[in-house]
Amino acid sequence: MFLLETTPDTSGYMILGYSVFFITMTIYIASLYIRNRNLKRDLEMLESIQAEEAKPKKKK
Amino acid sequence: MQPRPIALKILDFVSVILLAISTYLALFFAPTELVMGEVQRVFYFHIGTAWVGLLGFVIAAIAGIAYLVTKNMLWDRFELAAVEVSTVFFFITIALGSIWARPAWNTWWTWDPRLTTAAITELIYVAYFMLRQGIEEPEKRARFGAVYTLLGGISAPITFMVIRLFRSIHPVVIGAANASQEKMSMTSDMKTAFFFALFAFTVIFIDMIWHRLRLSSLEEKVEQLKLNSLM
Amino acid sequence: MKSSSPSLLKATFAIVRKDLAAEFRSFELISAMLIFSLLVIIIFNFALELDIKTREAVNAGVLWTTFAFAGTLGLNRSMSVEKDRGCMDGLLLAPVDRSAIYFGKALSNLAFMVIVEAIVLPVYSMLYNVNLFRIDLLAVIILGSIGYTAVGTLLATMSVQTRMREVLLPILLFPIAIPVLLAAVKASGGLLAGSTFAEIMTPFNLLVVYDVIFIAIAFMVFDFVVEE
Repeated sequence: MFLLETTPDTSGYMILGYSVFFITMTIYIASLYIRNRNLKRDLEMLESIQAEEAKPKKKK
Repeated sequence: MQPRPIALKILDFVSVILLAISTYLALFFAPTELVMGEVQRVFYFHIGTAWVGLLGFVIAAIAGIAYLVTKNMLWDRFELAAVEVSTVFFFITIALGSIWARPAWNTWWTWDPRLTTAAITELIYVAYFMLRQGIEEPEKRARFGAVYTLLGGISAPITFMVIRLFRSIHPVVIGAANASQEKMSMTSDMKTAFFFALFAFTVIFIDMIWHRLRLSSLEEKVEQLKLNSLM
Repeated sequence: MKSSSPSLLKATFAIVRKDLAAEFRSFELISAMLIFSLLVIIIFNFALELDIKTREAVNAGVLWTTFAFAGTLGLNRSMSVEKDRGCMDGLLLAPVDRSAIYFGKALSNLAFMVIVEAIVLPVYSMLYNVNLFRIDLLAVIILGSIGYTAVGTLLATMSVQTRMREVLLPILLFPIAIPVLLAAVKASGGLLAGSTFAEIMTPFNLLVVYDVIFIAIAFMVFDFVVEE
């Protein structure tokens, strides 16, 4: 029954599907990147604070 | 934090290449399905993400048990990484399935066992993040998280079995016990795209877990330093 | 130490007795659960326009939704009382096996839930003119409640120790408890629609399996959620 019908044009849904995939992946990778960057900034700040506390005269 | 180790750089590179090839195979190489048309092409990524999504949840449950036994925080980080990456992939699976269902079954959503279980599983792991967020002490967070992933890992298959009592319209792709079951027939080119997608997503999954693990160890370092500077 | 500590059974029942005695002094928890249940039923009455035809199809669903909501209320209250008054610390210091605490709390939570059900069921029967007093239906309800409180007690112990406290319990509990609720709804719905006991064997067995598995798991991991 189905075989007699012509194949429906569903390419719009296909494009939608692949867009959802790539957008979601991009968002997640961006979130990993941003969290990583923020943590690195925190780390640098904390390290500089500690370095100052430990050796107030020496600069690092 | 150390720069990315060379192995990770290679893995990143390989993941991107594999994703590109897999996209090519799915979009251009595989033939168009006759009944459903172009939309059937989301199938390759639908199954690819579903596979790594489920794999991650199994890994998380095992890591949870390993944490409870060994009390080694490494397992907790592993569990968190697996759950987080899998939640993302599983979200994609559900979204792709829904997009596929619209033209194929003429509805965005049906309460079929697989769809429903997928949605519930996703909710379990969202609840997991809320649970973790509400706990300050890392050690307690790890313990509760491990217990919850264990419960989730046991509950999800039972949910599936229970909903199976209702009839399913979801096609059985692999391991269909009898040929009379509604089954999608795949040509050999389709199979190539299918198995390549499974392989590609497994590699991408490992790559992302690795990145998430590195993020966790950085988090731990910062938390440790904050504690030190408070004292 | 081991020889001087009371047996698991004795300790469990001591905790149940303590909880029930405290409850029967004030009836705080049971009356809250009960009023809440009746309100849920009233809301359903208007939300679903429960006329005779639709009612037959949804009776089981309405009842189990009510029990699940009321159960969450009871679980939260019973565990947060322990936490707030420092009773939990006292219990943990007592020379009893930790699993006795779990079984004790789970049993008293089950008792509260069953008491509420025992009042809601006749009221529901009266309001909607259905006969809910059948031994097979009661068995299903008891089994469902056992599964629900077995997981609920464990998760409530966890949720009261987090920042979000009471809000978190339904979010944690409902997705895990879906199998038991589904099986219970299916079994009771089948019975109310006139199926014989043999016909609801599948969901009934699932209820038993769920109860056994989750009691065992909760028993094994409870130590980890009360550790200090």
